[in-house]
Amino acid sequence: MEVTGVARPSCCLYLSPGPHRPRLGRGSVLLPLAVPVNPSYDPPLARISSSSRRPPSTSAVHSVPDNQLRGSDSAEWAMQDFYSLRREVEVISGRVEEIRVAAGLQQLEKELMDLEAKASDTAFWDNRAQAQQTLSSLTDAKDKLRLLNEFKAQAEEAETVVALTEEMESIDASLLQEASGIIKDLNKALDRFELTELLSGPYDKESAVITISAGAGGTDAQDWADILLRMYVRWGEKQRYKVRVVEKSAGEEAGIKSATLEMEGRYAYGYISGEKGTHRIVRQSPFNAKGLRQTSFSGVEVMPLLPEDSLDVEIPEEDLDISFSRAGGKGGQNVNKVETAVRITHIPTGVTVRCTEERSQLQNKIKALSRLKAKLLVIAEEQRASEIKQIRGDAVKAEWGQQIRNYVFHPYKLVKDVRTGHETSDINSVMDGELEPFIKAYLKYKYSAVMSGNNDLS
Amino acid sequence: MQLVHNLRFTPFTFCRRLSATPSLAARCCSSPPSPTIAAKPLFLRPPHHPSTLSDLRQWYSWAYLLSTSVGSSFLLSDGGPDSSLLLRELRWLLEDVLDTSSGIHPHLVTHPDDDSHRKVWLRAEIGDLYRLWRQRIEERKPFQYVVGCEHWRDLVLWVREGVLIPRPETEMIVDLARDAVGKNPFLRDGLWADLGTGSGAIAIGVSRLVLGDGGKVFATDLSPVALEVASYNVCRYGLEDAIELRKGSWFEPLRDVQGKLAGVVSNPPYIPTDDMLGLQAEVGRHEPGLALDGGVDGTDDLLHLCHGASSFLQPGGFFAFETNGEKHCQFLMEYLAREFKGSFRSVDVVSDFSGIPRFVIGFRC
Repeated sequence: MEVTGVARPSCCLYLSPGPHRPRLGRGSVLLPLAVPVNPSYDPPLARISSSSRRPPSTSAVHSVPDNQLRGSDSAEWAMQDFYSLRREVEVISGRVEEIRVAAGLQQLEKELMDLEAKASDTAFWDNRAQAQQTLSSLTDAKDKLRLLNEFKAQAEEAETVVALTEEMESIDASLLQEASGIIKDLNKALDRFELTELLSGPYDKESAVITISAGAGGTDAQDWADILLRMYVRWGEKQRYKVRVVEKSAGEEAGIKSATLEMEGRYAYGYISGEKGTHRIVRQSPFNAKGLRQTSFSGVEVMPLLPEDSLDVEIPEEDLDISFSRAGGKGGQNVNKVETAVRITHIPTGVTVRCTEERSQLQNKIKALSRLKAKLLVIAEEQRASEIKQIRGDAVKAEWGQQIRNYVFHPYKLVKDVRTGHETSDINSVMDGELEPFIKAYLKYKYSAVMSGNNDLS
Repeated sequence: MQLVHNLRFTPFTFCRRLSATPSLAARCCSSPPSPTIAAKPLFLRPPHHPSTLSDLRQWYSWAYLLSTSVGSSFLLSDGGPDSSLLLRELRWLLEDVLDTSSGIHPHLVTHPDDDSHRKVWLRAEIGDLYRLWRQRIEERKPFQYVVGCEHWRDLVLWVREGVLIPRPETEMIVDLARDAVGKNPFLRDGLWADLGTGSGAIAIGVSRLVLGDGGKVFATDLSPVALEVASYNVCRYGLEDAIELRKGSWFEPLRDVQGKLAGVVSNPPYIPTDDMLGLQAEVGRHEPGLALDGGVDGTDDLLHLCHGASSFLQPGGFFAFETNGEKHCQFLMEYLAREFKGSFRSVDVVSDFSGIPRFVIGFRC
């Protein structure tokens, strides 16, 4: 389903909505709220004073009447449990502190001030595009800062509960459950925050273009490409991205030879970029009367959908080999075909893009060139090359065609990622777009690879 | 890449663009719809026809099957489109006919899932869609006539029966003119002529990309239908002040500017009469012979244009003509050298994107 307006992943791969997690509205902040704001959530301090005097319960947090809880106070919350809670609180406070330092809190505050100064400049709206960008950065910085402060506030609340319980003679079960709930939610929120940090590549925030091409092997491979197309469409729709199949070239008997998908929404590229590579399927061929076991491949390419003004890459004309699909025959007035495909190869690196979805040749050429630039920028970034000239073409081929995942339908059911080792036997869910665990595993894998790489360097 | 999208006109962006120049906006956008409203490009018609997703899917499946049944038969018989090209056209037809503002997008139609009861709004009745696609396949009616438009360069032009559909090859004439002006900036603010303008494609392309504020294009055509279509397109791009349409054959309506033209561009009829019978059905059966048939060897009008260029161009003026290919180009090169000794300089042949020598260009001495 395509969603107009701000396409934001409503529940991203990292989010398993809790029972009282608020749904964030359209156009809301980038990062989910740290801890649910439950309308019936009593401020802990107020509750502490009241519960110490044991008034009739008015708390709506627990559906169980207070007196029932009271009865099992000591049973449920033995001192042992309290100690383990106290330990958890210590751990999470430490984690919050670590994350606040790692996220560059001070730097962030300074950044925010700079951006606010910029936005209040009288000439701010003179450059609309730049203004939009500044505002978007401003929102990001504010959200992040707010989130980091909320983490701290939540940790402090839990600490207060522990401190008060220590002062008091008896143990207040509801209070401790409250603290336990805070810790649980906070842990989830911190996980989520960390994952967002994994998406800090220069293009991760952008929308994505995904190209799926059937490998050799005729109808089976073309059918497999079609299955993958469906899988990614479903995934994108679940993230509430705006998904458009912009080009689709049908196979002769079934399936597709290739397709191009545009996924508009924040962080689409960051999440989906790890899907690029070769996807292998093993199954009984539905196109073969004998139902023989068949292995097919499809290639997936992912590129960021970059705004035109960020593609300030100059590529010398002589480095480009631009070819157009030929209508054949005498051409010109003799022929009328809507064949306007454009294919551009960057000669030094061998990187090739093709664009067929636009309806005029010039439009296809413009779009193909944009895609080529985006692709070269991404490759340069991957290879840590400071300019296009430094790209090693041989490495591109090896990296972009690497087999990344196996989907075995027969003789057993298993989807296994070659890189991360993550696997599941619930193949149907995966084909229905349940890619979260795979994407999450890959992002963590990539992050740790980068981290250990940095350590090696230092 | 977003910019690229914006170049494709939707009615909305078009109006916004026009409103940048208020006087034109008043004339084009707010004026009551002209009587030719039904003939406008499909994608600009109002989405007043309700239907359901399931009915639309049913039509799409039917059209899909009809298209795949063609296989390579058209290709083998006369070089026409094969199934895969027809399917691409079908998708574009869907894009043009479907109102997406309600959240229904083409891929919902082509990826059947649920929601089939959902209402959709179309720019043509569903019955018309069956008729249109039958015309496309059974009568070989050109796709551009079916949807009433041709995407050409960054333009979307209205086309209809009686007007030649501008070809992708011809897009290059605008680039050739731009190159010429780049080297000779004084041509930028001169008077230009697009002879046999048809839909007005070249005139609009040159006016928008090549000419400065002082420049002007005269677009001539003999056909009243062509002039009606060109006039609509010129108006749609807000170029009424920059392009003047004149009725008549080639240079005939331009006597008042003889010897004063800074540029002459044309895609004249150039198909040899004998070839007319063997043309791809879309072309031979549906496009106007007047715009295609160039006489016995296809050079009748090209020669006429060369003669005209020698007397209508100002000194230093530029010309570019599209031809039928290598034979024509060679012939014209020799003809110009022989018959107009000393009249032209830098005469050259330029190949199209397929590598076929296609254009003859040069400057008046």
